[in-house]
Amino acid sequence: MNLIEKALAAGRRMLYEHEAKQLLSAYGFPTTNDIPAGSAAETDAAAEAVGFPVAIKGYGRDLMHKTEAGAVVLNVEDAGSARAVFETMKKNLGDQLEGVIVSEMAKGRRELVMGLHREPGFGPCVMIGIGGIMTEIINDTAFRVAPVEDAEAMDMAADLRAKKIFGPFRGEAEADMAAVGKCLAAIGKIGLDFPEISEIDVNPVIIRPDGRIIAVDALVILKGGE
Amino acid sequence: MKEHPLFKIANPSSIAILGASNNFMSMGTSVLSSIQALNFKGPIYPVHPKEKTVLGLAAYPSVEELPEVPDLAVIVLPTRIVVEAMDACGKKGIRHAIVVSGGFGESGENGVSMQKQLKETAQSHGIRFLGPNCIGAVNPHHNFNATFLTYGQKPGFIGMASQSGSFITQMFDYLALFGLGFSTGFSVGNEADTDIVDCMEYLAQCPNTKVIGLYIESIRRGDRFIESARRIAPHTPIVAYYAGGTEAGRRAGFSHTGSLAGPDRVYDGVFRQGGIIRAYSIEELYDFCWCLGTCPAPSGNRVLVQTHSGGPGAVAADACDRAGLLLPPLSDETRGRLADYLPHTASMNNPVDLTFTRDPRDYTDVIPRLLVEDANTDAILMYMLQPPSSVRRAVVAMGVKGEQVEEEVTAYMEGRSLEMAEFIKGCEKPFIGFSYATGENSFIRGLYDAGVPVLPSPNRAARALWALVEYVRLRKKIA
Repeated sequence: MNLIEKALAAGRRMLYEHEAKQLLSAYGFPTTNDIPAGSAAETDAAAEAVGFPVAIKGYGRDLMHKTEAGAVVLNVEDAGSARAVFETMKKNLGDQLEGVIVSEMAKGRRELVMGLHREPGFGPCVMIGIGGIMTEIINDTAFRVAPVEDAEAMDMAADLRAKKIFGPFRGEAEADMAAVGKCLAAIGKIGLDFPEISEIDVNPVIIRPDGRIIAVDALVILKGGE
Repeated sequence: MKEHPLFKIANPSSIAILGASNNFMSMGTSVLSSIQALNFKGPIYPVHPKEKTVLGLAAYPSVEELPEVPDLAVIVLPTRIVVEAMDACGKKGIRHAIVVSGGFGESGENGVSMQKQLKETAQSHGIRFLGPNCIGAVNPHHNFNATFLTYGQKPGFIGMASQSGSFITQMFDYLALFGLGFSTGFSVGNEADTDIVDCMEYLAQCPNTKVIGLYIESIRRGDRFIESARRIAPHTPIVAYYAGGTEAGRRAGFSHTGSLAGPDRVYDGVFRQGGIIRAYSIEELYDFCWCLGTCPAPSGNRVLVQTHSGGPGAVAADACDRAGLLLPPLSDETRGRLADYLPHTASMNNPVDLTFTRDPRDYTDVIPRLLVEDANTDAILMYMLQPPSSVRRAVVAMGVKGEQVEEEVTAYMEGRSLEMAEFIKGCEKPFIGFSYATGENSFIRGLYDAGVPVLPSPNRAARALWALVEYVRLRKKIA
């Protein structure tokens, strides 16, 4: 049974973040190194394995808005703090918390969003835009109908008003555009391969100082979950 | 190659019309009048239960009694008898129809079910049809105009498919203002059988169509639309206007992507993916078609603006900048060649502002010829001003008297216009005029009639030039 079937069988209408990233990863979309943990001790061990600083994010079927629920803690610096973060989350969220994922803190000041939705008459549509917490406010996006191949992906990126984000920025290298293209193609392919998926949000996709890109958070919504 | 289902709908050699009478108030009569007004070359058979003649033509009491099987039936009947009429056409052997009648899919459940019946009836006889709820089709190259308004100008090169009939019929006079016309126009109505994608595919094969215009409210076959457009755009430019691009249709999605995906954004992507140039107004749609249908492809986005009036030149420069076009400096060579012709007040920057010329003819003759050869430029935008009153003054000052004055003025205006048109049409770079004068000015009229685009403002000219640059870019992308 694949991730999607498993989630559906469990009555879930979305994939957990680490599952969403596994799916992206399987299609060649680079994601942060995440390790799930179910206890304070496991959290410590996972954090050691990932390397400090880390991000700790709680998950659970009723935990839809992680940040608002206090289930996201960034820049955790050492093992003792990691353990404490888990314990605080468990105390505050109780049974809502099924576990946490411990992730590397990806660096980079430029944030993109990539995603997928289904447009009646056209099928799966791939999006790229300026990402981060201001995504909706900035509202700078471009869409294409899947499949999206190289030339089209580049054209899409060039549609953004803020397309200069892909260029060199304050000492950080220009973005690896081939990787941007590959990631957009991957999202389109996922949309075509899995009709059970209704929407995907990869936000933020960080452009690292060396120009590589990486998915830091991801959401996959399944049919019926919209 | 198999004949396209829309071929006979746009090129019938004989027509049956159902719903025309001698009552000039009825839609069917108007359609028949339009067919007659464009001097249709084949037989026209009005079908009418009572009348012996309709608009001077012998009428037949039923489709069955027609003396031959016509290529096309035009149905303008009350909704309730349309299905029956389609069946009668099928039994007679008619295989193509235009259904103007409304009251189908656009009007409630009953209408939806009648539209289904209509389609099934047509299919059972192998009939392909346009509509229902459309205003018909026009092909002036074939003297065929099955719409309710008269087509009064020359046949043109714009192939149009529209989800609003108004942007076919009500554009006849608008296009005529600029010496333009349709190669073929389709009002697709409810698209029960043939849709805007079919029309686009037909127009791509139509030898008279140099550019395709689309007015879109909603595309039903999205994947086929993109695939077809990508096949067509490299040889025939496609321009689309999309209405419905408002925030109203925006969904409140759970994800960022879902909530950011307004249909306007998606259509924007779809057009770019299809190699289609998007226009943001109906004027732009036809401006783009005009220039794409008459200008050569530019090799880049560098434009030289020629003017003899500061303001219009400055506005053109501003509009070019907004449209993403560059205004490079003149090459040294051009500057050297121009020097002999310029007064001391002139500017050799870009815009090239002549202020005046020692010989007024230089403005339309030697100067544009020099500018178009500039190695730094890919296109020319030229401010066109040739007021007859100034010519008249000069003619009078030269001692011409009486009726001779107007003759001289007309000869001068038309002569200049003709020379200018010949020169522009021979240019290998896009050369677009702009003017606040219109076809009432015979210099401008002459250019229109010769097929030279003279846009009604610098802003529109700059945007139309952008469309040419964008076309080249899109064509390269999808090739």
